[in-house]
Amino acid sequence: MQLDFVNRELTIKLVYYGPALSGKTTNLQALHKAAAPGASGRLMTLETKDDRTLFFDLLPLTFRSQGSLAVRLKVFTVPGQVIHASTRRLVVQGADGIAFIADSRTNETQHNTESFMDLKENLKQHGLTLRQMPLIIQFNKRDLPDVRSDAEISELASKGREPVYLAVATRGLGVVESMIGLLHLTWSALDAEHDLNKKFGFDPKSFLAQVAQKLGNPKPVPEILQACVGGALDVLRPEAG
Amino acid sequence: MIPPAAAKTFDELTLGHGVSLEDLIDRDALGEMVKSFYDLFGVPLRIFSEEGKLLGDSAEQIPLYVLLNTVKAGRAALSDVAGKVKSIALGEDGMASYPCSTGESYRVAAIQYDGKRIGRMILGPFVKPGENEPPPALLSLDPSLDAAQLLELFRGLPQAEDDSVVNLTRHLGRTLDLILFSGHRALLTSNMHLASVRESFRELEDKNEKLQTAFDRLKELDRLKSNFLATVSHELRTPLTSIIGYSEMLVEGLAGDLSAEQREFVQTIRDKGEQLLTLIKGLLDLSKLESGTMSLRKTQTDIAAVLRDVSQTMTPTARKKEVELVVDVENGLPLMWADSERLRQVFLNLTENAIKFTPPSGRVTLSARMTAVDAARPEDAGGVVIMSARRSAIEFRVSDTGIGIPEEERGRVFDAFYQVDSSSTREAGGTGLGLSIVRRLIDGHDGTVRITDNTPKGTVFVVTIPVKRATIS
Repeated sequence: MQLDFVNRELTIKLVYYGPALSGKTTNLQALHKAAAPGASGRLMTLETKDDRTLFFDLLPLTFRSQGSLAVRLKVFTVPGQVIHASTRRLVVQGADGIAFIADSRTNETQHNTESFMDLKENLKQHGLTLRQMPLIIQFNKRDLPDVRSDAEISELASKGREPVYLAVATRGLGVVESMIGLLHLTWSALDAEHDLNKKFGFDPKSFLAQVAQKLGNPKPVPEILQACVGGALDVLRPEAG
Repeated sequence: MIPPAAAKTFDELTLGHGVSLEDLIDRDALGEMVKSFYDLFGVPLRIFSEEGKLLGDSAEQIPLYVLLNTVKAGRAALSDVAGKVKSIALGEDGMASYPCSTGESYRVAAIQYDGKRIGRMILGPFVKPGENEPPPALLSLDPSLDAAQLLELFRGLPQAEDDSVVNLTRHLGRTLDLILFSGHRALLTSNMHLASVRESFRELEDKNEKLQTAFDRLKELDRLKSNFLATVSHELRTPLTSIIGYSEMLVEGLAGDLSAEQREFVQTIRDKGEQLLTLIKGLLDLSKLESGTMSLRKTQTDIAAVLRDVSQTMTPTARKKEVELVVDVENGLPLMWADSERLRQVFLNLTENAIKFTPPSGRVTLSARMTAVDAARPEDAGGVVIMSARRSAIEFRVSDTGIGIPEEERGRVFDAFYQVDSSSTREAGGTGLGLSIVRRLIDGHDGTVRITDNTPKGTVFVVTIPVKRATIS
């Protein structure tokens, strides 16, 4: 997070993590496509010849709240290929929230696990733990055959803490919901730490509603948040036990 | 060269607070673009960074301004205008217009990137089309200026409608935005490359450090092992000497007569004891050589005598195995600077080995001749011209007609405890210590040892030792 007091501007860094070819860039492309004109900047992609992300993709989104605080979201992806470990570590540094994009296909389960371990390790290198990090998990590619069943994912998700979303990023399904869920968690965490709502007279509910609307989802925020199939959206409150 | 922004962190470059106009564009290329813009549209253009640094200028001298610059009042007016357009407050749309009292106007616009103002562009001066009469302020600026000339130069100013200048400004803004975006992407890519390399380097360094620590630890263990070997073999030797001594006394009948069977048994104890003692001596030598505590007592040595002695010692063994032992020493070999006892050990060992691996009716040859070697050792790469002084040396060859050593094994036979045939059923005995001691002793004499084939079959150990002590260290 970067706070520019002079211009009353807050920059939040969100990172889309996950194994190679799980659809992180596609998520950003879908967000970019959904965003209202003026709300989104150019999507910057640094990719190799074979269309794989070389370093990261960067999508800037800007929203101005009623309290006259401008919030800029910088959404990044990491390169999923195993060899780009050092780049992933660089990009994930300073992230305020992370969306883990998993591939729903049964035979990709192992890759999801490896990438998640990698995320854990990279956070550790920056002195962070998964517990501290606002995190949502998205199971992407729900439209493909041979995917893990909804029931299986729901059952597993209900045991975990992280909100889990189902998505088909190529068609933009579940993309905005994942983003709103992540932003909700991230904002709660930042507010808990920096007392932003009070300092800037910021209303997170209307802010989320504005973001959702500018991303083309006019539903009420609580309804959007309920799109997750498991986990908890208030995981950042102090837990019992 | 590292780009100036290389020191900026990833966050500074991507979260939008550290990027400046200078980071994103090439100044020369921007200058060219500004010039070409002027050539195409006829309106002068200047580009400043947010800090007010001039980054691009169409650089065309405006004749009217050249004239005004010749008088004090003109210079003052021009500098006033320049200051104003650089600092004029811009509206919500990022634009402002500045009309000068001398009749011409400027259009100023912010250069924005990623929602931030990072510089400004200034278009002008220009006048409205058809505006051919200069304002009185210009004509009355300084009485020394020629009114007719002023009028002519004023009419030569670029003419443009304000609306079209606004359009030009917008178009330029969009073009610049694309250039800045590409520049930003290139900057990020190069920075990420650098950062990734640095990160990988750091990882490797970490690993290197761990390996170095492990290596140091191993070296220490190796030293401990050598110490241990030295101590243990010394401690083993002392009681063994007594065992051999007493069995010798028994054999010689000092404790009374022995029956033939008893004598044979005691003789076996003595022989095996001697065998064990040789082995322990070998271990002790090796550990001394490894730890560098063995000192060679070098003197002027008659090497021919040493070889004769070796031959005499080995003749019974060779005869027993029905192997012919031949000594072929060139006449007139000089005295060499060496430890005669250790060299004797070297050639005894090589000859014994050769006999061991040669089948009956084979032949082992021990030869020596003068040769010369390069003073530079093969491992001292370079400087051959300087170092190529030849040193005279003696080349020894111990050849046999035995089973030979496979090419790929030749580098390893000098390792301690290494046996080409390590199966328990191998025909020839031995501990595998001999050759490693041989090599270390030859090293101690600044010499080399290598293995080549003997034709038609068998092995040749070629030992080369310089005659004089090295003068170049």
